[in-house]
Amino acid sequence: MSADIACPACDLLLKIGHLEHGQHAECPRCGCFLTRYRQDADQSVLAFAGTALLLLLLANSDSFLALSAGGLESEIRLWQTPGTLWDYDMPMVALLVTAFIIAIPAAILSLIIVLTLALQRKRYRPWLVMAARTVFLARNWAMVEVFIIGVIVSLVKIASMATVILGLSFWAYAAFSVCFTLAISHLDRYQCWQRIEALAET
Amino acid sequence: MSSETAAAQNLASCHVCCKLAPARYARCPRCGAALHLRKPASLQRTLALLVTACILYIPANLYPIMYTDQLGTTEVSTIIGGVVLLIELGSVPVALVIFLFSVIVPSAKLMVLFYLVWTVENRSILNPRQRSRLYHITEFIGKWSMTDVFVVAILVALVHLGGLLVIRPGIAALSFAGLVIITMLAAESFDPRLLWDARDTRNRDN
Repeated sequence: MSADIACPACDLLLKIGHLEHGQHAECPRCGCFLTRYRQDADQSVLAFAGTALLLLLLANSDSFLALSAGGLESEIRLWQTPGTLWDYDMPMVALLVTAFIIAIPAAILSLIIVLTLALQRKRYRPWLVMAARTVFLARNWAMVEVFIIGVIVSLVKIASMATVILGLSFWAYAAFSVCFTLAISHLDRYQCWQRIEALAET
Repeated sequence: MSSETAAAQNLASCHVCCKLAPARYARCPRCGAALHLRKPASLQRTLALLVTACILYIPANLYPIMYTDQLGTTEVSTIIGGVVLLIELGSVPVALVIFLFSVIVPSAKLMVLFYLVWTVENRSILNPRQRSRLYHITEFIGKWSMTDVFVVAILVALVHLGGLLVIRPGIAALSFAGLVIITMLAAESFDPRLLWDARDTRNRDN
């Protein structure tokens, strides 16, 4: 048996072979997911990643949440959220929050767009390897969907003390989290590396 | 089913791109990452990070995560206090979510990773599939613990209404963020293939 891959979770040598549209492969021994083939994966990645980037811009350009109680009001933009932590002498937490909810997701989206465009047009670029390594390394550190849960919990906590108004940017960020997750899930690690290797050899 | 592993054939599977290459190569021929049969010093790194996480666990739970100044009085809340407050407010489902992500998940993650390291140290051959699944769940659920840190970030930014109502962050926010990141790194440095190695070498020797 000439193996294509060793299962990343249990080291079993495996042959993946030909996959039809929508089929996926998993390790027969440990059940680890290996790869899924979709004919339209490139278009889906580009569409969702492009939409997500636009939504992220929108999420930063209007009111995110507003609060009013006893005639006083306060309003925040998304990018100001970690900024207040900085003012309270917690620059580390501020930077981490910015990275997890804005910077890392934006970097991943930009990289998967250029990566997918290059792979789709079959053009080899020397930075492809670096881009792919960064994307698959950073993937675990984007916490977009976790932040949405955080917003919901915060709303419940202050709803009894003050009136909260959800801004346009909140909805943009919620839609962004959906598109981001879809874009990431359409990018297949195994196939991406196979295609980079095929391009490098030509 | 023949269960031949890459390591048994002296092939290393790149941990970045999954390329199979002869184990004598120093770097992966496809992506240039350092090539190893197993993640180097996986158990030592995981244990070191787990001990760090256990130390951070103490301030994260003892110190206040945020202060609420309402009309001249200051209310201090810890992580557990936040859960109790949510139950008092009548939002039991949200309280359960926070209890799950901030209390259960971090402690369960620490215990699971200690247990997995212990089974590898003892060359356990019991149920590698279940242990493997346990590892994947731990790895997947890790980042959800960050919820409480985001809650503090949002409340602190949003709630500053002059002398009426102000929310300030507490030092536990930093310790807790550190705890979550360190446990995520611990999960990443653990090599799940070690869970199968004891069984594979035993099968080969017989």
